[in-house]
This record gives sequence, C-alpha cells and structure tokens, in this order.
Amino acid sequence: METYESIKEWKNSNLSSFLINNVSLNTFHDQVMQKVLEVAKGNMKQKRSPCKFTWFITGSGGRFEQALISDQDHGIIYEQSSKENDLYFKQLGEELSYGMDTVGYPYCNGNIMSSNPIWCKSVTDWELQLRKWMGEESWESIRYLQIFYDARALYGSEDYIKQLKAAIYHYQNDNPTLLMRFMENVKHLKNAIGPMGQLLAEQHGSYQGHINLKYTAFLPYVNSIRLLSIKEGICATSTLERIIELQEKEEYKELMKYSYENFMTLMNYRLSLFKVKEYDDTHYLNVKTLTKEQRKELKRILKYGKKLHDEVIELVS
Amino acid sequence: MEAVQVLMDNLWVAIGAILVFFMLGGFILLEAGSTRMKNAGHVAGKTIFTAGLGTLVFWAVGYGFIYGDGNAFIGLSNFFYGDTTTAAEAGGLTPAVDFSFQAMFAIVALTIAFGGFAERAKLSVYVIFAILFSALVYPVVAHWIWGGGWLAEHGKQDFAGSTVVHLTGAMAALAATMILKPRIGKYNRDGSSNVLAGHNQVYTTLGVLILWVGWFGFNGASTFGVADGFLGYVILNTQLAAAAGAVAAMFTAWVKTGKADVPTTLNGALAGLVAITASCGFVAPWAAVIIGLVGGVMVVFSMQLFEKQKIDDPIAALSVHGTVGIWGTLSNGLFALPALSTDIGWGQAGLFYGGGFEQLGVQALGVVASGAYAFVVAFILLKIMDKVMGGLRVTEEEEIMGLDISEHGSYGYPEQMALEEAKLTTAATKEKFS
Repeated sequence: METYESIKEWKNSNLSSFLINNVSLNTFHDQVMQKVLEVAKGNMKQKRSPCKFTWFITGSGGRFEQALISDQDHGIIYEQSSKENDLYFKQLGEELSYGMDTVGYPYCNGNIMSSNPIWCKSVTDWELQLRKWMGEESWESIRYLQIFYDARALYGSEDYIKQLKAAIYHYQNDNPTLLMRFMENVKHLKNAIGPMGQLLAEQHGSYQGHINLKYTAFLPYVNSIRLLSIKEGICATSTLERIIELQEKEEYKELMKYSYENFMTLMNYRLSLFKVKEYDDTHYLNVKTLTKEQRKELKRILKYGKKLHDEVIELVS
Repeated sequence: MEAVQVLMDNLWVAIGAILVFFMLGGFILLEAGSTRMKNAGHVAGKTIFTAGLGTLVFWAVGYGFIYGDGNAFIGLSNFFYGDTTTAAEAGGLTPAVDFSFQAMFAIVALTIAFGGFAERAKLSVYVIFAILFSALVYPVVAHWIWGGGWLAEHGKQDFAGSTVVHLTGAMAALAATMILKPRIGKYNRDGSSNVLAGHNQVYTTLGVLILWVGWFGFNGASTFGVADGFLGYVILNTQLAAAAGAVAAMFTAWVKTGKADVPTTLNGALAGLVAITASCGFVAPWAAVIIGLVGGVMVVFSMQLFEKQKIDDPIAALSVHGTVGIWGTLSNGLFALPALSTDIGWGQAGLFYGGGFEQLGVQALGVVASGAYAFVVAFILLKIMDKVMGGLRVTEEEEIMGLDISEHGSYGYPEQMALEEAKLTTAATKEKFS
C-alpha cells in the first residue's frame, strides 16, 4: 500500500538516476505525480470518482520542462457539474495539493492548484470561465489563459483540454485583440547582453556573477513560441514539440531555424547545473565556470532568443 | 575705484564662504539619502555637531597651523584667531573674511572624512576624531600646499582643493573604513556582496544639486577676488566638468550593466566637480569637459574596485573624493594653460602645452605626499582611539537597531521605524512558534 511518504522516499532515492536528459527527468516526474493521484483517490471516502475527469499539469511541468524541483501547477476538468460531483472534486483537489506538497512539490504561490475552485471545474464551467477571461482581457485573466495553454493531461483523456484549447483558438481568430493582449503580457525581456556585447551577470547578492537563465534565456523562447502556438492552434505543450509543429508551416521555417537546437542546448545547460548545485536553484549559471566557447555559445543563444522574441512580437502586433 | 574693488573682493569671498558652508546641507541630504532609514537622523544630525566642533578647533589651532608663521611643515602662530583689523593692508581681504572662507573648507574636509564612518561608528568616535582631524590632519596638508609650506614652494597647483580638501578627507575615510570593517550584511560568506540600498534617492539627488551649487563658491571664490571677472571663468569650467561627469557616469553604468543607475549618475556629477576643483583656474573649458568625463568614468570603476576589495564605502566617498581627487590634481599636469600658470608664476604649463613632465611630477609628488600623510596619521589616530575607547564600532545589536535609537534615543522616522519594529517582532515570534 503506497502512501505519500513512501512515494517521497522512492522519488528521492531514484531521482538521480533519471538525470540523464530532460525527457527522462520529466517522464519520472510524471510517474511520481501519477502515483500521488492514485494515493489521493484512495484517501477519498468515496472510492470511485462519480464521473469522468482529467487531471492536468501546467507551468513548466505542463511544458515537460520541469527542473529538479518546481512548485505544483495543476487543475481538474470533470464531466459534469452537480452538487455531489462538485464536492467530490473539491475534496480530491485539496487532497492532491496536500499530497503533492508532501511528496516534494511545494504549494504554488500563485494558487494554481486543483484545490483552488478556479482551477477545478466541470468542462462546461471551464468553457464559461475561459470565455469570461478572454472577454475581460485583464492582466490576471491573460496570465491564466497562457498558463492554461500549457496544460496537458496527467490522468484521464486529453479530449477536454483539446476542446477547451480549441475554444481559445477560435475566439482569438475572431478577436485579434486577444493575441495582442497575450503579446503585451510577455513583452518585457530581462536583457542579459550589454551594449558592448558582454554578458550581464547579477551585480550583487549570493548569485553575483551568475546569469539568471530562467528570465534571460528560457522565457524569451517559451513565451514567443507559446504565442505562435496560440495563434496557430497548436495543442502540443512542450516548447520543443511546438517548435517542430511550427517548423512544418512554411511561414515559420526561417524564424524557427535554430530554435530547436538552441532550446535543447539550454535544457542541457540547466541539466548540468542540477548535477553540481544544490537542489534549491537551478536557474543560475555562473559565468566564470564557462569556457570561452561556452560563453560564446550562450551569447549566441541569448541573442537569438531576443531576436526571436522581438520578431514574434512584431509578427502579432 | 580701488576701494570699490576691495569691497567687492571681500563681498565675493564672504558669499563664497556662505556657499561653501551651505554645501553641508548637500552632504546631509546626500549621506542621509544614501544610507538606511534607521540611521537617517544620526547621519544628518552628526554633520551639524561635527561642523560645530570643526569650527571651534579651526579657530583655536587649525588656522594657525595652516597660515601662521612657522616652517615648511607647519605654521605656528595666530592661534585662537582674533585679528580685529577691518581693512586689509594693501587692499586685500579682511582677515576675518579670509578666516571664514578657510574655515568652511576645513569643515567640508571633515565631513568628507566622516563619509567612511557611516552607519557603524560610535558617536563618541565622531567627537574625538573631529577634534584630532581638524587639528592634526587637515591643517598640515593645507599648510604644505596653501600656507606656504614645502609643496607650495615646488609650484604645486591646487586651485580650490582637489588634494587639500577632497583627497585629505578621503584618505581619512579610507583609514576609517579599513579599521571599522564592512557593515553587517554587506558581504556574504562566499565573498559576494549585497546592496544595502540608501533609503531615499530623492534626498541624494537634491544633496548633489546643493553641493553642485555650493561648488560655485568653493571654486569660484577661490579666486579671492573679482578682478577681471575671472570668477566667471572658474564657474564655467566647474559647470562643464560636473555636467560631463554626470553624463559620463550614467553612460558608463548603462554600458556596464545595461541599466542607467541613479546613484552612479549622481556620483558622476560629484566626480566631475571634485576633478575640476584643482584645475578650474588653470585649464581651458574644453579640457574641463575632458577632466569631468574622465572623472565620471573613473568613479564607476573605482566604486566597483573598492567593493571587490571588501572595503565597504556606503556613500562612495573614497571613489568620489579620493580616486577622482587624485585624477583632478594630476589633470593640471596635463592641461594647465601657460597663460594661467607659467606666465603668472604659478607652476608650469601642462604636458599638452609644452610644459613637459615637470608640472605632472610636481602634482604627483603632492598627491603622494599629502595622501600618504593624511592616511598614515588618520590611521594611527584611529588605531589609538580603537585601543583607548574599546573599539570604534557600535555593538552588533546597536548596528541592527540603527544608530538613531542607539546613539541618540529617537528615530529620524519614528512612525515608519515603529512599524518596522512591529514587523520584526512578529517575524521573530512566528519563527519561534512555527
């Protein structure tokens, strides 16, 4: 009989052997979280779920780009709303968030968790909520929509997610301002290349001399590729898969040329960081430890990321 | 006509004295803005009483050590200054006007020195060191260069005091910073540093502007008269260098870090002012622009260098007044115009005007001798104080709670600090019970 504690133990003793590459690490995370769901379901008073449902993860987990440790981002879509169903999934959501935290995925600061009613709804209510968000176009609702767009099913059918993403795709097709709002939301870029072409490392603090890969390198790629995916109705969630699908379209061939290779290299950099560093932060790369060639490569990737980001923004505005 | 000129000379230098004294207002805002809220009242208030102490010491012995009859090393008359002559002999300044103007410079040098003490020295240290610095450090250097001492005889050019005031102050600040050690929380165990950001950039900015205006008196009235309207030329050079320094520092910060940092820009303006202080009466306006630009670039790198050396300089006094003070003094050796040096018998023209390396050598000698004297004497005095007074620094608890409350018993920002305290207590309680 599994418990959260036994999953945690299993996770901690096996994690290191999955650090071979990003796919193997994320497949492992998926397995751990699926185990959490089984235990959570078992902990419910009502042993069988009252209707069909999909449990999805989003954020970096949704994109299949999770680092060693990241906080939990997930939600539930269920078949039908009823008093009984709403109560069951509310309790399951709470149990899941607790379980995930116990196993080592800390609570999400932004409260993007199945325990939050906003992220746990019947498919009909989900569609209503998405429409409300799309109509509102507030800073928060635009954020939520982008987060939802990175969702993929961990349990249950992918169909609900596809259906809901299709609704977003059609809405933005009819209302081009929505894409503009998505664009404005991710327009800011933390610059990592100085006017003289030098790497701009942190000036102070315990990461002095480090580059924050998350903000300077990953986000330009992740955000601009997501933007194009929404525009083209691409359902894939991982940035690499999205790039492949975009490459198949003639108009993005040139733009996507080096994206796959660059993003892959970034993931490998980060993977190499896990091995040397403590678990706490795997986004800070110490510039001093890089060889001359690596520095050159990093600069190229950062510059390309900025170019990609700028061109995509140009494209949708 | 001559009588009018004498009156105007006296009036202009008296106005200069007032402007220089008003620079203390600039220092108060600059220092308070650049330090943390819990020390604001202390940092501001101590400037007033050290100005008081400095004045009394200067009256008792300082002026005499500088301008009294003595030898190449020190003056030894005119103590407890009390010359009652109203009109100066042969149409110069009245002794009292001259005395007042000189006193303000001594106070400014003292205020610069205290920059290196910020946020961690005991109040009693300020009291004792104000007396010792005003009697034993500043007057000696001032005598060497301005009071007819051995460097003056060499033809050293320091129009308004890049060396005498700024470098001397900065050297004492350096000694203090080294003995006091960095503030709590400035450096991490792995050697990286943290920003202990000042609490009010607007104060700091206004402080710089006031200093800038005051500098027109500092440099402009160092003409000691209004003849030929030369004061306008000096003010022009001063303005150009400050402008160039601000622009250069902002640009340098942007190129280096990608952000046009405000405190750095402000230090750039001050760097331009410090740099031109020695040369404002000797160089052409285009040279003033270059001198300011170089100062502005230099101050950015100097601040970084000190930080890397683990020398914690909260208000960048070492870089602004020290590093750039040296550059300002040396710049004469490069840019001094023959018409404003050789032709009037004040040293030689600079390297770029066919003066060769002679003046540059004289300037360098002045920097080394004055800098070394100020540093060594200040260091020894502070070391002795350290032993006798049981340490220069407040206790760790006092430093954490802030010098407003530990040294003076009340906060500069009572409402805000009460709030902060409440937050701290809650956090501590939470930690205990969670």
